[in-house]
Amino acid sequence: MAIATTVDNPAVAPVVSRSVRRSPLAGTDRLWALAFVTPYVAVFCAFVLYPVGYGMWLGSDVASYRQLLADPVFPSAVVNTLIYLLVAVNLKLALALLLSGLFMRRGWWCRLLLLIFILPWAVPGIPSFISIHWMLNSQWGLINNAIWALFQVDGPPWLDNADLALGSVIYAHVWKWLPFWTVIFLAGRMAIPRELYESAEVDGAGALDRFFHITFPLLGGLYLVCTLLSTIWALGDFNSVRFISGGGPALSTHVLATLGIRNAFELGNPALGMATVLSALPLLIPLVVLLTRQLRRGEVQL
Amino acid sequence: MSVASRARLDRRLTELGIGLLSAVLLIWTLVPLYNMVRVALQGKEDVFSSNVFPTAPTLDSFATAIDESYWLLENFWGQMGNSLYIGLTVAFLTLAIGTLTSFTISRMRIRRGWMLTNAALLTYAIPMSFLAIPFYSIMGKYGLTDNPIAVIAVEVTFATPYAIFIFKQYGASIPLELDDAARIDGASPPQIFFRIYLPLMAPALVAIGTYALLLSWNEYLYAFLLLSSDGHITVPVGLGKFLNSDEAPWNYLMAAAIIYALPPMAIYYAFRRKMNSGLTMGGVKG
Amino acid sequence: MSRLSRRHALAGLGATGLGAATAVSALRPRRARAAEPVTVWWTQGFYQAENQAVIDAMATWEKSSGTKVNLTIMNGPDLISKMIAAMQVGDVPDLVHAVTGDRFLVPRAAWDDKLVDVSDVIATQQHEYHQTALESSKFYNATLKKHSYYSVPVKCSTMMEESWRPLIEEAGFSDKDMPTTQDAYYDFFQTVQDRLRSKGRRIYGLGYSMATKEADAGTLFHAFLVAYGGSGIVLPSGKLNVDDPAVRQAAVTALERLTTPYKKGYVPPGAINWGDVDNNNAFFAKQIVMTPNATISIAVAQMEKPDQYYKQVITQGIPAGNDGKPVPSLLGVSPCLIPKGAKNIDGAKALLSAFIQPNTLNTYLKETRARYLPVMASIIRDDPYWQDPADPHRPVAVEYGLIRPTIPWWMNYNPAYAAVLSEQIWSQAEANVTQKGMTPEQAADAAMTRIKAIFERFQIA
Repeated sequence: MAIATTVDNPAVAPVVSRSVRRSPLAGTDRLWALAFVTPYVAVFCAFVLYPVGYGMWLGSDVASYRQLLADPVFPSAVVNTLIYLLVAVNLKLALALLLSGLFMRRGWWCRLLLLIFILPWAVPGIPSFISIHWMLNSQWGLINNAIWALFQVDGPPWLDNADLALGSVIYAHVWKWLPFWTVIFLAGRMAIPRELYESAEVDGAGALDRFFHITFPLLGGLYLVCTLLSTIWALGDFNSVRFISGGGPALSTHVLATLGIRNAFELGNPALGMATVLSALPLLIPLVVLLTRQLRRGEVQL
Repeated sequence: MSVASRARLDRRLTELGIGLLSAVLLIWTLVPLYNMVRVALQGKEDVFSSNVFPTAPTLDSFATAIDESYWLLENFWGQMGNSLYIGLTVAFLTLAIGTLTSFTISRMRIRRGWMLTNAALLTYAIPMSFLAIPFYSIMGKYGLTDNPIAVIAVEVTFATPYAIFIFKQYGASIPLELDDAARIDGASPPQIFFRIYLPLMAPALVAIGTYALLLSWNEYLYAFLLLSSDGHITVPVGLGKFLNSDEAPWNYLMAAAIIYALPPMAIYYAFRRKMNSGLTMGGVKG
Repeated sequence: MSRLSRRHALAGLGATGLGAATAVSALRPRRARAAEPVTVWWTQGFYQAENQAVIDAMATWEKSSGTKVNLTIMNGPDLISKMIAAMQVGDVPDLVHAVTGDRFLVPRAAWDDKLVDVSDVIATQQHEYHQTALESSKFYNATLKKHSYYSVPVKCSTMMEESWRPLIEEAGFSDKDMPTTQDAYYDFFQTVQDRLRSKGRRIYGLGYSMATKEADAGTLFHAFLVAYGGSGIVLPSGKLNVDDPAVRQAAVTALERLTTPYKKGYVPPGAINWGDVDNNNAFFAKQIVMTPNATISIAVAQMEKPDQYYKQVITQGIPAGNDGKPVPSLLGVSPCLIPKGAKNIDGAKALLSAFIQPNTLNTYLKETRARYLPVMASIIRDDPYWQDPADPHRPVAVEYGLIRPTIPWWMNYNPAYAAVLSEQIWSQAEANVTQKGMTPEQAADAAMTRIKAIFERFQIA
């Protein structure tokens, strides 16, 4: 998603926002404006407001929360969710930031590499995840077959051990979404004027100096927004867990998104499912507040 | 060591590092994709074998998927059609609703336009799967169970906020003076929208259209929940059916999956430049 | 806040949405009452012919009744999830056939008064039905406070043991060396594994399903529970009986006997993630020597390969208890049901009554290749197909499912046990032993605490 950045730096003349005063809408224009926004307002009411309200209502039964807390799977899902968010999001974005530097280099090789590197994002998620799931099968998956072929030993039980299975889910998430965020940071880096680097080089700054003194400070705002957005999206990520570990082994890798669906549609208790999902609100609300504040500052625009 | 040879050594080292990094990246990126191809090229009996490379590669499973001659694939092209229908409709509606809304907010300057922006921002910040439970019930109330329109509605809902942001962003580069001039000539808002706004927004339209198409091509949870009959399901849901087979026809599954992956890849690579410029313009240019 | 006032609050909030809702639903074409079709959801078969048999049966009924049938075939777990969701909304099909619905769908729905009482449909074939199948179709309705028939049995099965004869022979044994009592029987395959491994094969002796999903793991655990004397875990009155020392001991022994081989490496590590088809697949791939399975699906999948079907795959019933006495099998029944809110209940009942005519049912069941058994005595009596002595698998399944003693699952006494099954309490207990280092005693006690809490929610008056 498109994140564009306005880099806050002295070398660039501040963009003067056009605040052309216009007269308020009159007559037919007003009707046209109304007609133009109606589709979106309708979509918003019918498919955002109503479901959100209905979901809140479904999840407002205290008994559901009591039942949820009594379920030993719930605390482990909360912990998994936190680990998933902290590790997957940060690992992914840190790698993306570094790799975007690689793709800044000129030359046919880096351009070709970028074309290939983008593939995981362009290939639909479900087929890729099914493939990763099979690839990691401990008895006949590609990885352990390769380990056996090379070293004649049984590889690790990727999906049959709780920690490894969660690790595998994180791997799949990073694999799928790393290219996207790399492209975003690449765009951010391209906005940094070359002269900054050139003058730094003249002053004798090394690559690391340039990264820490120019790139990172200038991309900091963008990085923060990306972290917040990516965290929110990862919180709602159902497919990675569903198709890589399926929540297994022994329900040990469920996150709130998958546990909610399980409680609602496998155990037949939609109120419990909604309560599961809503229990993420204490985490979600601060994220949204931070994100909104960050976006209002206008340094980074969506 | 002379400065020149020192510099040369540095360059060598950098090149070596880049070479190594590239190799790692290539393996990282391609292994899961190679596994797709490997499984698809295997015979049905070899699915559980311990090979790393297919022993007797064959394109049979692709042929089977294409002529629907395996029973779980008997409606493969129908499902492909459903995916395409949903994807194109989502793309079209997202573009239509997104451009109309952003046009009104930023070019007609309606009062309380900020409310729409905030509404879009709110939608943006809802983790998509969190609404699956209420959505199922609500589609039942709307009489849309087992109806592709339900899936289209969900995807349009989650794609438009993003579209609005990008359009607002991109639209800022089109001078308002153009509108003013047209107004003086007596153009009505729809005329400005169609004749001035839309043509100038073309790159962003391509980017968002592709984005919406990819979004819907990736969707599983909602398609699974909201569609049930064979005539309505999309390819990912159809592929899900395979996983409950004790014939382990996974070579067919992967062949079908690869065919399914081709259109979005083609579209992405065809529009890559527009995509990148459309999705990452705006403030980037200063 | 009461439910009603919350509803009002919501109505205000979603007023605009509801407006849109009305607009959309007004677009829906309303069909004339007379031509109202019957919408049917059916669990996907494992063979194309099985699905075709359903399609054909529906087509025949369409012709004779003049009523249209809208048939949707879905895979098992998906159908259950979708039915749960559909009943929540009230937008339901008219007739549903759900394999594993006897566990995951009917008990809870009957309790919540969401199913149509089908006693009248059962009555048309009452004298034909196998007794346990009938018992398995009675459920408690908490609203009406009574037991009644809320599902119509269509097919049934009991847990069977499948093994590879060539592998057993490779280990230096023959069929006759296989013990016939519980512990000795399963231990035998550990010896087979040891011998095959010493010859350099990467293979596991026991294909125990131990996952916390779907049905097979539950089937296996409860077969063990019964074998060790725990069949009284729920009393026919619906009362939970886990405090009975015999039941507790049976549960502990069952857990111990399932988890120890796993920990010792006699069960594939992946078995804790197996869905219902995965033990079949592992068996076909010769990764395991034997696997207990809910049906004889493994054998019948090999029917086109006579060598495998007739010579290589062995089908046996469950072993006798350690004391040598026969152990009753738990009868799994795949039900048809009619959800409340169905638009054409009469049509659904007529279709169902026609479908359970012994002849029609038999035609369909033969297309499942006897993976599922008839629920009616006359079918196996009148059609020699079922007890064909030349077939190495089918008569064994018939023997254990329909002739020897069988018992119903406990959801018929109390739907709380359905929740125990869908929450996979016992598979979680197995995982607590294999993954978290609990002893079988600790795991059993933790499971029983959870089960008691679940039963609290289902009080039968």
